[in-house]
Amino acid sequence: MSKTVILYGTESGNAEMVADDLVDEISGDREVEAFDMSDFDLADFDPENYYLVVCSTHGDGELPSSARPFGEALDEEKPDLTGIRYSIFGLGDSSYETYSHGSEIIDEKLTALGATRVGEYGRHDASDGSLPNDNALAWLQGVLEPA
Amino acid sequence: MSQADPGAGSPTVAIVGSGPSGCYTAQFLRKHWRDSEIVVFDRLDLPYGLVRYGVAPDHQGTKAVAKQFDRLFERDGVRFVGRTEVGTDVTLEALREAFDVVVLATGLSADRPLDGAADGLAGVYGAGTLTRLVNGHPDELVDGIELGSVVTIVGQGNVALDLVRLFLTPAADLLALGVAPEVVETLGRGPIERIEIVGRSAAPMAKFDVAMAKELSRLPDVAFLADGLELDPEDGAGAGDEARRSAIADLVAGSPEDASRTVHFRFGWSPDHVTGTDSVDGIVFRSADGRELAVRTDSVCTAIGFAEAETAPVQRTAHEGPGADIGRGILDDGLFVVGWLRRGPQGTIPANRADSKMVAETIATAVAGGDLPIGKPGFAAIAPALETPAEALPTLI
Repeated sequence: MSKTVILYGTESGNAEMVADDLVDEISGDREVEAFDMSDFDLADFDPENYYLVVCSTHGDGELPSSARPFGEALDEEKPDLTGIRYSIFGLGDSSYETYSHGSEIIDEKLTALGATRVGEYGRHDASDGSLPNDNALAWLQGVLEPA
Repeated sequence: MSQADPGAGSPTVAIVGSGPSGCYTAQFLRKHWRDSEIVVFDRLDLPYGLVRYGVAPDHQGTKAVAKQFDRLFERDGVRFVGRTEVGTDVTLEALREAFDVVVLATGLSADRPLDGAADGLAGVYGAGTLTRLVNGHPDELVDGIELGSVVTIVGQGNVALDLVRLFLTPAADLLALGVAPEVVETLGRGPIERIEIVGRSAAPMAKFDVAMAKELSRLPDVAFLADGLELDPEDGAGAGDEARRSAIADLVAGSPEDASRTVHFRFGWSPDHVTGTDSVDGIVFRSADGRELAVRTDSVCTAIGFAEAETAPVQRTAHEGPGADIGRGILDDGLFVVGWLRRGPQGTIPANRADSKMVAETIATAVAGGDLPIGKPGFAAIAPALETPAEALPTLI
């Protein structure tokens, strides 16, 4: 049965909190599971499922720590992700020139391996001190496919 | 961590200190035990410690983590008890009698002192004091602070770069960020014409993050200079990160020619002693090969790390029991330690989040394995002893 799978990559916990909210929002209507990217096994990618990727940016446009093993595994194992559909939401801070770059790194890797991004590319800019959660929930309404 | 069976016994938890380590610990423990009593104590009225008083006010994205923590108190049933200093208003022993689990998360708030600076010499300021002042910490006052027109910053970590930015940000911008007018006036009074920022390491080994250095390029009317940028790390010290060297070179190359303010990075110099009779008039540095550098300066700001405050009423070492395992965050039976107080003043907020996760797992394991008996009454047992249990809901920054 088709599931919605949320994969989050976090450094300070904001992306994890977004994932928690997405789970709360979706769970009444459909089966949903959230994984820290560092706990996700690439062999579990399943074209039956729909993936929501939530990823922050660390330092000078790098992957956040919990996304790093996932990024490295994609590079090394190069799984065939043909048929995998995902939507992505990036967190960042436009005070830095590498705003939202962490999510873009993951996006490029997934696309290069054959996965297909669907829906709007969601983003949140923390430079004003706001939380990403409201933006993420609004983005979710736009990308969510009918159950 | 997996969610525990809500029917399983969950401990009563007291966390001392509401900075990032304390709040992240509360967050992870709440994920583990949905129904346990978790109380976070702080000596100040308002929560969040370093997030509120240490992170620079122009880094709102970093401060936004406070809004994660707001959720603890607003919806996740974690209780904040402010204006209550453990060790003064309530003893640690009383807390340990009342709660199954007590976690010390009081951090390291004192500026590490500069060797060779005479006590009482005016014009030497710690970076922690200055960032607390800029952030409106109730213990800090502008009285006696005179930066002058030439400021020397000792240290080249992120805190040192914060000072450069705060010192050179236009007054109107600081006011717009909510910095108090008297603080803005004090920072701008010099006005500062030159900042010397001096560190002992070669540029690739300096402590600052590259993104923080790049951010300095936005400061208006500032020219950057660098001495010793070509120095390579000493043998055996590792290669460091060449991106740091490039970031400083880019700042220098991109400097306007007619700027009225300069920021001078100097690499490879360790502080030796401060000169001056009543107040600072200079500081002398030494290189690894014994050369001397004397800098005339109106003030010295130290950004060389943090230490446990001598005045802290709860000192970690005084509470280490026979079964202490600091590596896992265990101080004594039912007593834990997390964050900077556990592992020293290294690493940013995310590193403390990882530390909180680790210590929360230590606690969960101890309870699950029966090593830590539970059943203590929690906050109700100490509430009567707290004269004015000043509870405040956290307010947004």
